[in-house]
Amino acid sequence: MDTTHLRVERLSEDDAPFDPGFSDDDAGRLLEAAPFRDMSLPADKLRRLLHNHTRLRRFKPGELVVRAGDYGSSAFLILSGAVRVVLSPELPATLLGRRESRQRSVWRTIAQLWSSSPEAEFRRPETVGQLAGAVSEDGEVRIFLQDIPRILDRHRTATIGEGEFFGEIAALSRMPRTASIFADSSAELLEVRWQGLRSLLSDPKFQLRIDDLYRKNVLSAALRAIPLFSHLTDAQREVLQQRIEFGTFGSYGWSGEYKRLAQKGAANPELEQLIAGQNTAAAGIHIVRSGFARLTRTFGAGQRTLNYVGAGQIFGLREVFQNWQTATQDPAAEPLLYQGSLRALGYTHTLFVPRDVLVELVLPTLPRAQWPEPFAARELAADDEDPAQTRVGPGRGLGPELMEFLTGNRFFNGTAAMVINLDRCTRCDDCVRACAATHGNNPRFLRHGPTSGRIQVAQACMHCVDPVCMIGCPTGAIHRDAVQGHVVINQATCVGCSTCSNQCPYEAIRMVEVRNERGVLVTDPSLKPILKATKCDLCQDQYGGPACERACPHDALKRVDLTTLTAFERWVNK
Amino acid sequence: MSGRRVTGSLLCLAGSGVLIVLWRHFAPTLRTLPYFTGWALLAVMLFLTLYNARKKLPFLPLGRSGTWLQLHAYVGNFSALLLLAHLSWRPPGGWFGATLVALYVAVAGSGILGLWWSRRVPRRLTDGGGEVLFERIPVIRRELQTRAEALALESVQAGGTMAIAEFYRLHLADFFRASRNFAAHLTGFSEPANPWRGRLEDLGRFLTPDQNQQLRELSDLIRQKDGLDRQYALQWSLKAWLFVHVPLTYSLLLATGLHVVLVHGFAPGAGLP
Repeated sequence: MDTTHLRVERLSEDDAPFDPGFSDDDAGRLLEAAPFRDMSLPADKLRRLLHNHTRLRRFKPGELVVRAGDYGSSAFLILSGAVRVVLSPELPATLLGRRESRQRSVWRTIAQLWSSSPEAEFRRPETVGQLAGAVSEDGEVRIFLQDIPRILDRHRTATIGEGEFFGEIAALSRMPRTASIFADSSAELLEVRWQGLRSLLSDPKFQLRIDDLYRKNVLSAALRAIPLFSHLTDAQREVLQQRIEFGTFGSYGWSGEYKRLAQKGAANPELEQLIAGQNTAAAGIHIVRSGFARLTRTFGAGQRTLNYVGAGQIFGLREVFQNWQTATQDPAAEPLLYQGSLRALGYTHTLFVPRDVLVELVLPTLPRAQWPEPFAARELAADDEDPAQTRVGPGRGLGPELMEFLTGNRFFNGTAAMVINLDRCTRCDDCVRACAATHGNNPRFLRHGPTSGRIQVAQACMHCVDPVCMIGCPTGAIHRDAVQGHVVINQATCVGCSTCSNQCPYEAIRMVEVRNERGVLVTDPSLKPILKATKCDLCQDQYGGPACERACPHDALKRVDLTTLTAFERWVNK
Repeated sequence: MSGRRVTGSLLCLAGSGVLIVLWRHFAPTLRTLPYFTGWALLAVMLFLTLYNARKKLPFLPLGRSGTWLQLHAYVGNFSALLLLAHLSWRPPGGWFGATLVALYVAVAGSGILGLWWSRRVPRRLTDGGGEVLFERIPVIRRELQTRAEALALESVQAGGTMAIAEFYRLHLADFFRASRNFAAHLTGFSEPANPWRGRLEDLGRFLTPDQNQQLRELSDLIRQKDGLDRQYALQWSLKAWLFVHVPLTYSLLLATGLHVVLVHGFAPGAGLP
């Protein structure tokens, strides 16, 4: 008997189904109906997919299914009934559980001198009671739109009926939902989570449908926004649109996975999904549409991060362009291989433009101002272990340690990360006091966090480009501010479910127990404390911007956009 | 040099130049000049004190604290020149005047020293590593003490020798009990924990490999406690200097108020305008 090993069955995706209550009968019923009965995927594979990645949901008339602006990780198939899409104008923020963006009046700003409650986490009664339109059923919060006839009267809407899919592009490309949808009648919907959608793409018909939808609804606008293609004619762009390939890499639920790996100290580039490998043929360019990727280069036995590549940035253009130029002069010349690797960080959605398409449509007419910088000789050095290699690449102004620090901790996600120069910070906590003073005596961040040399990134909401905290909020309480784009929480509609707090990979959201004006803990009828999610709101309703930054006497603290290196590099080298 | 610093320095120099020119021009003829310089000095002192009020009102759009601090420093420098002009470039007369000037020197001195210290110490804190929140230091200290005590007790139970436990009781129990070597950490002239670690190494020659392992763990705890003491001393000093500077400032303001009352009350009797 083997006494040195404890043998257990390895966990598989079957062990973590979307809905543990999904039955064989449900799967059987779905397999006999469109669109699953017409799919070419093997029946057992489809059955398994339905078991693991779908759940049946019933909506009542007027119930919200998705909100415009939310990040969703799933799509819906209408099994019965109908839903209504609000086309224009969008539903008002208050109807969607959000807060209207507004600046404090001068009087209310001054009144903070005496009006802040001495009690921690004091909330007014109207923000802790029953949410208007919200109904809690089986532990799930359902939101109903009020006064539907008035909505129909004031907003242009369209109906989607039985057998139709919706929400799949937002789920696959990790883009915000473009419209709000509510149940028009009693409706039964099949919710398919992102992993299931990706598996469904192996069905040619489904793939074709998604491709068509994507090319029609998303790609045409996206290509116009990419400077590399701005010089093309409409006809050329049309051809390009048809020949582009889409790619999704990494994991949608990367935040949880990242947290686990970081705790184990195992988050390293080798574990990230490879999009394009160093020293392989430069077959085309990868344009990151959403999410992030890491540009690395072999260094010793590992991978050194040169840069991170975010939405709109391109990998491989320098190689393809240089090869094209060389080939026009010397067709027999050896083409350049990819000089680095591109790896998915978290979830990455890319567009791949093959080399042939570029050579045919894009490169010959590319304006000189847009020509990529040619590779310097030292960048092409054969010896990857040459220390000089650490002085090339876009991150050279920061140094390799800081680049690894930013990438390893996924800080590139932050548009307003709180960075502290510890060589200047006197640890006076004026920033913390200022934050508390502007938030009713409750600081909304911790002046503590991961550190690399003299740079610390404090535990404060970074207002991420890819806000994983917004996925799954049942009431839409956590949302992007319509005016400034900051991620904010509407205290009046937060139901304290902790979804956002658990999702945030940077531990920047805290759940707090709220109190009334006398300091009494507010509870529900079963005496469980009422929780609310709290985090930095960048002082969006205050004059003058974030109080923490303005309060630092030594200019040691800065809210920096880390999605590009420019601002951070300038601040670090000031 | 940053643009803000250049602007501040230039404005400070320009202000000083204007003051000297005005003083040279008006001093021989204008008998009320000390009143002007006195009131100007009071206004400058009140402006310098306003920085503290700015810190208390972070929600009002009153400008960045960093800008205020720079202004505080430059205007503070300028106030020294104003004081000298107010004194007509002579030592103060009488004990009250001397007290006022002494208070001014104490306030200005504590400010300059505090600023110098605030620029110097953060780098030392960063270089030393082991970044920790000041409020958490007592908790971490207690944890280290508990671990060290447990290690000492364990050495008796596991190895049957009292050597490590005795060493802990005689030399280390007090070290782990509270913050130690405050002055040494503040000055940074010596490494106060090194002797203990050296003596632990000496002790190791008489112990078994297992007991040596325990000694190494104890040595590591000493290193951590020493780092914590360093953080405590330096962070404490960064906070403490303000407890000198701010009360002295208010004392100076009170004394100045009294000075104003006395001057205006007794000046006519003394034949002054």
